[in-house]
Amino acid sequence: MRSQADSFDIIQRALDAANTAEADAVFASTDQNISRFANSNLHQNMSEISAGLTLRVIVDGSMGVASTSSFEPDELARTAELAHEAARHADPLQNFSGLYRGNEPLPNLDTFDRITASIAPADKARALRAMFDQGRGPGVHFAGSYATGGSSVACGNTHGVRRYTTLTSAEATVIAIHENASGYATRLVRRVDDLDILSLGEEATTKATLCADRIEDIEPGPFDVILEPPAIAEVLEWMNMIAFTGSSFEDGSSFMAGRIGERALGANFTLVDDATDASFLPFPFDLEGLPKRRVPIVERGILRTPVVDKAYADRLQLPPTANCWSLGSPEHGSAFHLAIEPGTSSREELIASTKRGIWVTRFNYVNGLLEPKTALMTGTTRDGTFLIRDGQIAGRLPNLRWTQSMIEAFSNVEAMSRERLRVGTWFNMFGGTLAPVMKIRGWQITGKQEAGRVGESASGRAGD
Amino acid sequence: MKPTRAQLEEALGALRNPSLRYADIRYTATSDQDVKVRNGEVDHLASTVDRAVGVRVLVGNGWGFAASSDVSEESIRKTAQRALEVAAASNIASTQVVTLSEVQPHVANWSSKYEIDPWSIPMDRKIAHLLEATEPMRGDPRIQQVIGDISSYRQEKVFASTAGSFIEQTTTEMGGGIEAMAIDGDELQRRTYPNPFGGDFQAAGWEFIEKLELPKKALLIRDEALALLSAPKAPAGRFDLIVGSAQLALQVHESCGHPTELDRALGLEISLAGGSFLQPSMLGNFRYGSDLVNIVADATVPGSIGSFAYDDDGVPAQRFHLIERGMFVDYLTGRDTAPLLGRASNGTVRAESAARIPIIRMTNINLEPGTTPLADIIADTKHGIFVETNKSWSIDDLRLNFQFGCEVAWEIENGRLGKMLKNPLYTGSTPEFWRSCDAVGDAASWQVWGLPNCGKGDPMQTMRVAHGAPAARFRNVEMA
Repeated sequence: MRSQADSFDIIQRALDAANTAEADAVFASTDQNISRFANSNLHQNMSEISAGLTLRVIVDGSMGVASTSSFEPDELARTAELAHEAARHADPLQNFSGLYRGNEPLPNLDTFDRITASIAPADKARALRAMFDQGRGPGVHFAGSYATGGSSVACGNTHGVRRYTTLTSAEATVIAIHENASGYATRLVRRVDDLDILSLGEEATTKATLCADRIEDIEPGPFDVILEPPAIAEVLEWMNMIAFTGSSFEDGSSFMAGRIGERALGANFTLVDDATDASFLPFPFDLEGLPKRRVPIVERGILRTPVVDKAYADRLQLPPTANCWSLGSPEHGSAFHLAIEPGTSSREELIASTKRGIWVTRFNYVNGLLEPKTALMTGTTRDGTFLIRDGQIAGRLPNLRWTQSMIEAFSNVEAMSRERLRVGTWFNMFGGTLAPVMKIRGWQITGKQEAGRVGESASGRAGD
Repeated sequence: MKPTRAQLEEALGALRNPSLRYADIRYTATSDQDVKVRNGEVDHLASTVDRAVGVRVLVGNGWGFAASSDVSEESIRKTAQRALEVAAASNIASTQVVTLSEVQPHVANWSSKYEIDPWSIPMDRKIAHLLEATEPMRGDPRIQQVIGDISSYRQEKVFASTAGSFIEQTTTEMGGGIEAMAIDGDELQRRTYPNPFGGDFQAAGWEFIEKLELPKKALLIRDEALALLSAPKAPAGRFDLIVGSAQLALQVHESCGHPTELDRALGLEISLAGGSFLQPSMLGNFRYGSDLVNIVADATVPGSIGSFAYDDDGVPAQRFHLIERGMFVDYLTGRDTAPLLGRASNGTVRAESAARIPIIRMTNINLEPGTTPLADIIADTKHGIFVETNKSWSIDDLRLNFQFGCEVAWEIENGRLGKMLKNPLYTGSTPEFWRSCDAVGDAASWQVWGLPNCGKGDPMQTMRVAHGAPAARFRNVEMA
């Protein structure tokens, strides 16, 4: 992490090197530690200190971008030259009104925790060791990761905009493995004190040992499903890529293209991008310096807006949404703080209301490129898939394949939980996803993991 | 900027811990340049230079890894000390004995070959080449987007270890491709050449881009994208399926490459990407595919982005069978995992950059060519479907149940290719699929495909791998 003074100095030197009327720069520095474990053994333990600068220049209305991890004068000059070279060959940005000049005040958000930024690897190892020891009783071993880190993020431009913040995060995922079954638990928080490794181990163990002696099977077809937040989060990551970005909206591949103002999803479905929600994973500005704001993407089923950077807000004549997370990225806007408005039920009520359905802990390897205009996706379930019969958990199911249009799915939401969970995404250091448990009707199950057909014992977890 | 051998060896020598068993230091300087044109404009043009140093130590049975983007001499010393602190923490929660297979010390300097340096080609020429390849595709109002990509990549790597090795390697690569996207109402179809997601990639220079002949392929993929808009949907049911070379390369990647990574099989990657149905007890006695299926890991293929001279354990690049005549015979291994099988490392441990810890990665995982010309396989198929070019991919956490979507398919009736079909999806279980393989195309249909975006690890590492594959036929495959 770098101080505000250091960060602004590097940005100023980069802007000076750019030597042009319009330029902006982002400087981010991260200190992080990630401990990975498997078979109740800490097998990878990593500490990284990194810093990077991205410089963008606008020359005659055209944009060029270059990045570096070195900040000596020669290197900054070289980076500026690369950015200029790119701009010289680029076409002018359509309708571009220039880099951000507003410099409005930022939302006052609590993003940093000193303890989280400085927790020692040894403290984390002790917490993991305690969980490993705790698993011996029920005969469980653990796999997963425990990451903590602190970052400084600064941006600035030639119009005098300067932004700086520090942020921390602590994220743990735990898989408990019990004989042929597994369970999963995850937490993502700004303050490490809000993350209890032992309770995550217990939560994952509960899922891994639930219905251990009651194995069920089903045939493919439509089912009512109750999806936990990690499953919803993976779907939303894909929705972001194929439907919410400025580029997918412009090229027409997004199901939202040409349909703003239409009701395309269920009236009980509202999705926002909101980095200003203090209870989520707050962050005060985007990397062009615009103050973050609450952006309704879908309101009560009505399509409202894609998320855009400033270049695409201008190009598409849309209100700015402050969603630049990478200067000059070809996505031209990305939603890094997706939150689904909650319902009024509890998880238990959702299960109890289900005559015959499937309770899903999480998805594996979702792919959203099948048919983007209907948001048709496929994936499998993992780490705890259960059959619900007459409102009760009837038994464990094998991992299931599903192939489902998300437009249909989010039009068929029967109910949602009051409580929501923050879920992290690997490409997103700024935020994550905030989702409730969702009950969705008619989810298409199209196959299953048939370890028994391999020919011999597949693995210790083949049944899950 | 690049640290000297003396600096790295001094940092290794300064590591003071009586329980230190092994240490290595890597330095990387990675340069990327991406040029993308879209609908007649330059859409993205960016350059990145990223430097890093990483130190890995084994103290007792605890690994420690520390990295920094500051590659100064002082930072290298501090990073090395931080690695020791991390290893000490690891020992608190380390519950298993670490055994390293033997490695010989190597002093070497290796570079991949190229004829024309990617960075010697002016930006103007790259843009002009892409516009020449994409502009002819525009005109029909249903063609809503045409894209062309050219990317250049170079990584310089220096490795020094307490085993006595000092290895310098430089890899230079280029990639390129074009895409036409057609939309008519709610129907959207894409065709790409030679592959989606940036095209094909080789350890080569500009000569590779010229060899792709992108401008010559433009009208063909435009016409196919338009034709797909009104093509019938590929039928559901069970069919004899001929999978083209590019799609089969991805099938090899997902259903053979990943499940033969020993760290996955041992559960070390379960939390993120999952495990493997291929367990050590199956080595040598499990029928993975039919007798025709021979899959090798070969890190020595000239001109491929999965090739190198030494892995990030300092082990020389190797060629060996993973699947031999259909039998599962080996894993991809590293120095700390191979001893669990009683074997020595076969040299497949790599990291994206010095900022990341080395883990087992694919090299070039190749389905060896058979003896049957593709035309003969088609002629020998009474009723089937031919699929080509990947559109979507998904596979379960044990690498068993898969579903792939392709950009295009053609029906086969009485040994002849028939009408075009859209949105083909095929699904199955890995060993059942490979056991159903009854024809493998000859060398004429075999090609190495570069995949620069294989994700694994936490933090996620994107690795550059490749796959050689011919076309092949599989009997009675389920189409969704």
